[in-house]
Amino acid sequence: MYKLGARKPEVPLTALSNGESGIIASIKHGHDMGGGRSHGFEKRLMDMGLTPGTRITVVKSAPFHGPLEILVRGSRLALGRGMAERIFVETERQ
Amino acid sequence: MTEKKLVFALAGNANVGKSVIFNYLTGLHQHIGNWPGKTVERAEGTLHFKGYTIDIIDLPGIYSLSTYSIEESVSRKYIVVERPDVVINVVDASVLERNLFFTLQLMELETPMIIALNQIDLAKKKGIEVDIEKLEICLGIPVVPTVAIKAVGIFELLEKAVEVAEKRSAVKYVEVRYGKEVEERVAKVEKMIKRVQFSYPPRYTAIKLLEGDEEIAKEVSQIDPQIVSAAKGLESEIANLHGHSCSTVITSERYEVAGCIAKEAQKLVSPIKSTIEERLHNLTTHKIMGYPIMAFSLFLMFYSIFAFGNYTSELLSDFLYGWEPIFATLFGTGLVGKLIWSGILEGVIAGVTIALPYIMPFYIILYFLEDLGYLSRVAFLMDNFMHKIGLHGKAFIPVMLGYGCNVPACLGCKIMETERERFLAAFVTTLVPCAARTVIILGLVGKFMGVKWALMFYVLDLLIIFVLGRLTFKILPGEPTALIMEMADYKVPHLKTILKQTWFRLAEFIKMALPLIIVGSFTIKLAEVLGLLEPVATLLSPVTVTWLGLPAITGITLIFGIIRKELTLIMLATLFGTTNFALVLTPIQMIVFTLVTMFYIPCIATIAALVKEFGWEKALSITVFEIVFAIGLGGVALRLLQLVI
Repeated sequence: MYKLGARKPEVPLTALSNGESGIIASIKHGHDMGGGRSHGFEKRLMDMGLTPGTRITVVKSAPFHGPLEILVRGSRLALGRGMAERIFVETERQ
Repeated sequence: MTEKKLVFALAGNANVGKSVIFNYLTGLHQHIGNWPGKTVERAEGTLHFKGYTIDIIDLPGIYSLSTYSIEESVSRKYIVVERPDVVINVVDASVLERNLFFTLQLMELETPMIIALNQIDLAKKKGIEVDIEKLEICLGIPVVPTVAIKAVGIFELLEKAVEVAEKRSAVKYVEVRYGKEVEERVAKVEKMIKRVQFSYPPRYTAIKLLEGDEEIAKEVSQIDPQIVSAAKGLESEIANLHGHSCSTVITSERYEVAGCIAKEAQKLVSPIKSTIEERLHNLTTHKIMGYPIMAFSLFLMFYSIFAFGNYTSELLSDFLYGWEPIFATLFGTGLVGKLIWSGILEGVIAGVTIALPYIMPFYIILYFLEDLGYLSRVAFLMDNFMHKIGLHGKAFIPVMLGYGCNVPACLGCKIMETERERFLAAFVTTLVPCAARTVIILGLVGKFMGVKWALMFYVLDLLIIFVLGRLTFKILPGEPTALIMEMADYKVPHLKTILKQTWFRLAEFIKMALPLIIVGSFTIKLAEVLGLLEPVATLLSPVTVTWLGLPAITGITLIFGIIRKELTLIMLATLFGTTNFALVLTPIQMIVFTLVTMFYIPCIATIAALVKEFGWEKALSITVFEIVFAIGLGGVALRLLQLVI
């Protein structure tokens, strides 16, 4: 991994192992289908509490490449894998 | 002042016990309908309290007041335009921070409100104690602690709400303050809005414009487009300052405020061990154990609905048909008697024997599983599979139920979040072979050609569902589905609420469907009595005989199948005068006939369900599509089979 100053490595949420936590750094834009409506889903993520700087814990993921179970701001959420791949977190690994 | 009438609205996140409070407040005086032109349910009830007649509106369970979902924009419009006297914000004490995020948005709407701090018992179990007084000071809003499922605090809640309603100006809530960069720009936009007339509060409008809210922007630009473009400029200023979109910045800061208040008001004590709910969650979402548990639960659900349904349906129809001789002596067996009995009363019987026995247990079990929290776990496990047909995990439940009866399955599509998902799920559901179609598949193909052939129909059906599901997914406009769903802690369902929810929805369905079923069966009977069926069959013969290669009289049976699918087989036996179909149909004809009946039209009760949920236009488009599709498929199958066999 590259080390850019004091910045910790940023990885997609799906790269965290079960029980691991990270701080949300950014959410990558999805491939818009012209209408620019994928913005709506990002808003939804924010509204559910997944704002940048928030600590997020991956509990486990459903089998067969299914959704992730995450803990965020005291609530337990299921998050589709496609979306989880676009959420980048700073890990607490060295 | 002269009229002693009040309107309270219940608002809050999903899974906070809102509907339990609603049911305690309103008892048996409820009306369930839809918001005008929307598939969003509108539950309304009345109660009498301290000389007031109070209307209670149960707003849908939502997490925010943006326009992500129809529920959110419906709720927002309702609060601003119809101005309820008091908004009762139901807050889950065990997930305080996220719930307060919603509370803060309600406060920005500047509506008189109070908070029902619910599930304080569950919060305590999780090790969270909330200081009511501190919360009241932080927000400037009266807070009433409640345990809705035990009816604790309901009376106090009502009392407090009336108090607030009586002296409207008394509530002085603390204003939510954002960071300096945001506040400066909010003030600028607010000033511009104050110069024009706008239905939403100026500060709220300013914030929403900076958040890039399209609905508000559209409305404001009708008054003064300059305000919108000025806000756009300020929006990008904030985005440049922070490196995130302005909407992200505002949402983050709002969450920060919610977090601070939550921290201030709640005290963390040690939780009461690893709770049983936690263990149940781990088991039901386990990567291996989760699936057999799900299979078993669904089997049990399926079995109990249909065991109960078949039994009561038979009992009911025996009872109702028992009146036929008595009816005949009263009205005779002439034209009029026949028309009334077969046309109207048999329609009623068909409606009653479907609605009560199957839909009632379905609703009870569905609400039970939802209240318990199991539905979201099933969605978690099945998400990946349902994605293959463009839906997400939750759709598994209605699709699964379609194998029993399409009617409750279509009604159950309400559990999906967006209008698009609901429609897609309902469409897929109508393609699932229900019990009646199973009768035809097994009774015709299974009996005369072997079980192997019958099984092939199910495989083919899955294939068609997959292909059509994907196609519709591609064609339908709107955002593709992705799953983000709360898996709230398991809790003991509140049976009274479930029974009431079932009862009012059942009544709603009967009111909607019965007239349609009666008109449908009456028309067909009338055609029969007038001797119009033969000409119609002849009229249909280019399709039935030439294109599908079937005997002409199948045209008649297909018409009857609209009322109930199994009638196609029953009528076939009646018209041929034999139940040994091998004598009158070739194997190819059997296959084509079964294929057509499987897809050609949703039965009339299903159409009624579709109309109720989606309106005439969409119900008709599904119906017409399926007629065309089935005929096309049948004809193609005929030609292919002739080549093979």
